[in-house]
Amino acid sequence: MPGAPLIGGAGGVSQPARRLGGQAQGSGTCAATGRGDPALARIGRAEAVARSPGEASGSSMGRRRRRRPDPADAARALPEAIAALSRTLPAAPSPETFRRAKFDRPEAAPALWRLLFRVLSPLPADGALASLALEAQARWVKSALRSQGYPRRALVQLPDEGSQGARELLLALAWLLARGPLPERLLTQSHVRLGDEMPVCECEALASPGLPAPGVEAEGCVDIRHVQWLTGKLRLRWRNLMAGQQEQCALLGKIHSYTRGCHSDRSLGHLSVTETELLRDPEGGRQLLQLLEKENARLEAALEWRRRELVFWQWMDTVLDACSPEDSPPTFLPRIPEPEAGVAGLLARELQALQEELREAAEARRAAWQAAVGGHGPEWRAARRALQAAVAQDLAALQRSWEQDQGRARPHGPHRLVRTEARVPGGPGLRAAEATEALRAREACLEAVLCQLQGQCRQELARLAGARPGLTWVPPPTR
Amino acid sequence: MLPAECSRRLVAELRDALDSCAERQRQLEQSLRVSRRLLRVWEPAETPAPEPTPGPEINEEAPSSAFTACPPSPQDLKELELLTQALEKAVRVRKGLSKAGEGVKVPSLKSGSASTATKASAPPSTSRCTGSRAPETKPPRGVHHPWVPAKDLPGRRLLLVGDGAHMGQGAGANKTEAGLRDQQIVPQAASQVPEAFTLKDKGALLRLPEAFRKAASRNARLWAQLSSMQTGDSADAAAATATAKTQFLQKMQTAAGLPGSMLSTAEVGRLQKACSVLRLRMREELTADPKDWMQEYRSLLTLEGLQALAGQCLHRLQELRSAVVEQPQGLWPEGPPRAALPCGGGADPVWSPQLLLYSSTQELQTLAALRLRVAMLDQQVHLEKVLMAELLPLLREQEPLGRPWLALCRAAHCLLCEGGQHFLTVLQDEPADRLSPP
Repeated sequence: MPGAPLIGGAGGVSQPARRLGGQAQGSGTCAATGRGDPALARIGRAEAVARSPGEASGSSMGRRRRRRPDPADAARALPEAIAALSRTLPAAPSPETFRRAKFDRPEAAPALWRLLFRVLSPLPADGALASLALEAQARWVKSALRSQGYPRRALVQLPDEGSQGARELLLALAWLLARGPLPERLLTQSHVRLGDEMPVCECEALASPGLPAPGVEAEGCVDIRHVQWLTGKLRLRWRNLMAGQQEQCALLGKIHSYTRGCHSDRSLGHLSVTETELLRDPEGGRQLLQLLEKENARLEAALEWRRRELVFWQWMDTVLDACSPEDSPPTFLPRIPEPEAGVAGLLARELQALQEELREAAEARRAAWQAAVGGHGPEWRAARRALQAAVAQDLAALQRSWEQDQGRARPHGPHRLVRTEARVPGGPGLRAAEATEALRAREACLEAVLCQLQGQCRQELARLAGARPGLTWVPPPTR
Repeated sequence: MLPAECSRRLVAELRDALDSCAERQRQLEQSLRVSRRLLRVWEPAETPAPEPTPGPEINEEAPSSAFTACPPSPQDLKELELLTQALEKAVRVRKGLSKAGEGVKVPSLKSGSASTATKASAPPSTSRCTGSRAPETKPPRGVHHPWVPAKDLPGRRLLLVGDGAHMGQGAGANKTEAGLRDQQIVPQAASQVPEAFTLKDKGALLRLPEAFRKAASRNARLWAQLSSMQTGDSADAAAATATAKTQFLQKMQTAAGLPGSMLSTAEVGRLQKACSVLRLRMREELTADPKDWMQEYRSLLTLEGLQALAGQCLHRLQELRSAVVEQPQGLWPEGPPRAALPCGGGADPVWSPQLLLYSSTQELQTLAALRLRVAMLDQQVHLEKVLMAELLPLLREQEPLGRPWLALCRAAHCLLCEGGQHFLTVLQDEPADRLSPP
């Protein structure tokens, strides 16, 4: 067993690859040093023996071209796949930890809890999150997995203090990897932005939940005036924000026009703030370069992972088989009712209100229709059938629009700002005018919704106040 | 006073909103700081130097200094000036003037060259900070690497050539040797004050360092490869992988101990989207004006259909909520995201360069302002819903018993109907105690 057990996976992505030593083939920036890791070679050999010779050679596209199935290759395929995975994921433990997890060794569990936490947290790793105790991280991972629909109960039942269940955690990681392009998503999240990025829509900003205030004071009762005061404060903050944003745009415009012609990439033409800053501050520039190179290493590892991952899935099958099958859900855990003002509660109330509105409107129209119908000829029946079919199609299309994730009709995501001459037809890229159009549409939609909600409130309050005789409401002068 | 639970929830929501605003402000201020600094005169100590000092050199001479960690001493600044002039002089030498020194080679303008003189002419700048500590024999290292005088520019204009060939490489021996040569040239240099660097005047002369450019283009290439691997999966191995993954997921599901359907983030998002789509459609139908009986009938059928769909969604939501067996505890009490994602789900998992072309500052400002406005409106809509959910039930339940209720009602009206900005006046018409307008 080479060296101390590699728990915790600290120390950057380059470590695991080094452990593989001479067996690593073309694995990016980490040079192979020394002999191979005997422990990992053992995995490889064990797995190769379990598979038929024909299968063993099919682990990567490159090897398939060789006619003779080479057991040594097959033996290396799995450790290399795991090593690539370990190099591409952020804060991943060493490949050795993965092997230990299969055998449910306790020392592997903490590293995997931390990995899952890092992988599932919506925000990139920052100081506040990373410093959470293992127990807190474990609890959070459990709830995050459950909210994504993780099917196994065994995970939920693991103790929070984090020393057990390495195999279950390995399954959870594999589950996440199987469901979607996890390494790519993580890389995109932490991608080093070289340009001045501006998001053209607000969906990502809204989707990420903010961190709760660290010192959540137990509030007593507050007066409604406190609520009004907070609202006013919020309004002021937005105003300041908008003013600052205008200034920032003006500065960006200047920097972009002053550095025109400097960029080696013609489609960009000028430098961004990040690039200019690295010229002004070489130390910062060097740090940026390091980050960029780290990302390049992770990207290469991701490519390698994609080439090799089949053997990993074959291995995971064996891991799953090693687990004892779960019982069907007999005991119904006590349901803790979700607070009524939670997101789902709000939504339920909205849907109820909507349904009610629709019912009233439809009933009124149905009544009017019944009263007016009559005197329609036989062509009425045929027309009616046609209309029914048309409406059914219409509504089905409507339903599809929220059931499926449609391709983005709207511009989406952060874009790099590029200043061009107005008359130049320009290459690929979103025009500011188009983005503005899309945002105006969204603005109008939201204003309509807000107006409608306010109107609803006005009606309701008028009704409540109207129940009390002797009150006169003098609304504020209409603006 | 509002009841405790209600207070807690309202305050928590508003605090959330305030915090997210504060976070944006913080990021904005950071960007402003950087941008303002770039547009000012760049300090002589900060003159553009695409090539940072190689690591080992720093360690041996100035273990604790960073480039901007300590202000350059006056001696260093003077040496910087002198060295700059020395370089200019070297240009003149190359042009054919009589040789003044030991034939210092002037680097070409092409950034690819890695001539000795380039190394020689611009020793790293770190040790200017350690001027006081460095041994006497150390050469003056006052200037950054790329301050290479242009052959073609007259006078004192300096061209910054990003010769990053040395980035990350040690050039120790060369530098020391060249430094000594510099020392000899220095006294012969004319003493002129170098121009301050401003982006406005000389921004067009900047060039990015070689190492950086290489890393950036490699980065772009790798992303493109990753992206094409994502979309162009037609090879057998890729198909086999996809099958293996599906089988694994199925196996996980069948071996599962928990019910499949869950109040997942995606589900709630979809239902939120459904709600807004249905509402929009209802609005359209209600405002449209049917011209003949066919259109009327169609409108009726549509409304009834929408009602049925709304009922279905509500039913589904209630089903999911009753299936939740464990309340997600912990840090994120609000698990699913707040707003329905209008852009149709998640972003592209693989990054690809997306450009936004603008042609004037005005255009950019309009876009940015609009974006913030949309964010603010979205927040307002959410808060409106929260306030409605909290305040209206209170008003309904409470017995309208006089002033407290009235005050609450008036405040609620202000918050809910006027965005917290305008108050209405309530007149109570009872002769016994006449309330004057507040």
